[in-house]
Amino acid sequence: MSVSVSTLLFWGLALLALVGALAVVFAVDVMRMALGLGAFFLAVAGFFAYYGFGFLALAELFVYVGGVLVLILFAIMLVHRGREGGPVLESRWSVASVLAAIVVTGALTIALMPITEFFRQDTTFIVPSELSTLLLRTMLPQFEAIGVLLLAALAAVVVIMGGDRE
Amino acid sequence: MNLIALASVLFGIGLLGVLVRRDIVAVLASIEVMLGGATVLLVGLGVSVRGASVSIEGIALMVVVVIAAEAAVALALLVAVARRMHTTRIDDLTEVKG
Repeated sequence: MSVSVSTLLFWGLALLALVGALAVVFAVDVMRMALGLGAFFLAVAGFFAYYGFGFLALAELFVYVGGVLVLILFAIMLVHRGREGGPVLESRWSVASVLAAIVVTGALTIALMPITEFFRQDTTFIVPSELSTLLLRTMLPQFEAIGVLLLAALAAVVVIMGGDRE
Repeated sequence: MNLIALASVLFGIGLLGVLVRRDIVAVLASIEVMLGGATVLLVGLGVSVRGASVSIEGIALMVVVVIAAEAAVALALLVAVARRMHTTRIDDLTEVKG
C-alpha cells in the first residue's frame, strides 16, 4: 500500500492543527496555550498553501502568527502580570458542555456530508496577478469595505483603550 | 470527507473551549480555533468547485482580515476590562453597566 506525499501532507497538517487546538482547550499554562494557538495558525496557513493559495498562506502567516498571536502575547503580559507562581488558566468541565460540543461536531459533519459529491481531487495554483485583478476590479467594493472595516476597528481599539483612562 | 470531518472537529474543539474555559484570553483563543476550522473548510470547498478558486481566495482573504479586526477589538476590550476590574475570569464579570 503506497501513501502519496499529498495524503501525508494533509494528515500531517491535520495532526498539527488538532494538537494546537487541543492545547488551546486543555493547556493550563498561558504560554503553552499561546504556543498551541501558534501551531494551529501555522497548520491553517499550511492548509492554505496545500490547496494552492500561496498568497493567502502568506497573509495568514503575517496577520495571525505575526500579528494576532503577538497581540495575544502582549495582552497576556499586560493582563496577567504580577501574579505569584505564574498565570494559570482555569476550566470548568461539565458533561453538558462536552455533550454540546460532540453534538455540534456530529451535526456539522452530517449536514456538510452531501457537499462531498462536488469535490474533485486536483488543485489549481493561483497566480497573484489573478487575485489582484479580482480584488481591484470585480471585488473592488468589497475590498474597499474591508479597508473601511479595518479603519473602524483601529478607531474602536483607540477609543476602547483611551476610554480606560480616568 | 476528510476535510469536512477535520473542520467539524476543529469547530467542536473550539466550541468546547468556549464552553469550559473560565478565562477571557482562553475563550478568545478558542473562538479563533472555531473560525480557523471554518476558514479551512471554506478554502477546501473553494478548491473543489471548478472555476471558483480565485473568487474563493479573495473571499477567504477578506474573512482573514475580518477575523483579525475582530481579534484586535476583542483584545482591546480584554485589556480594558482587566485594567478596570482587575480580573479576566468570566465568573467575576457578571455586571453590565449602562
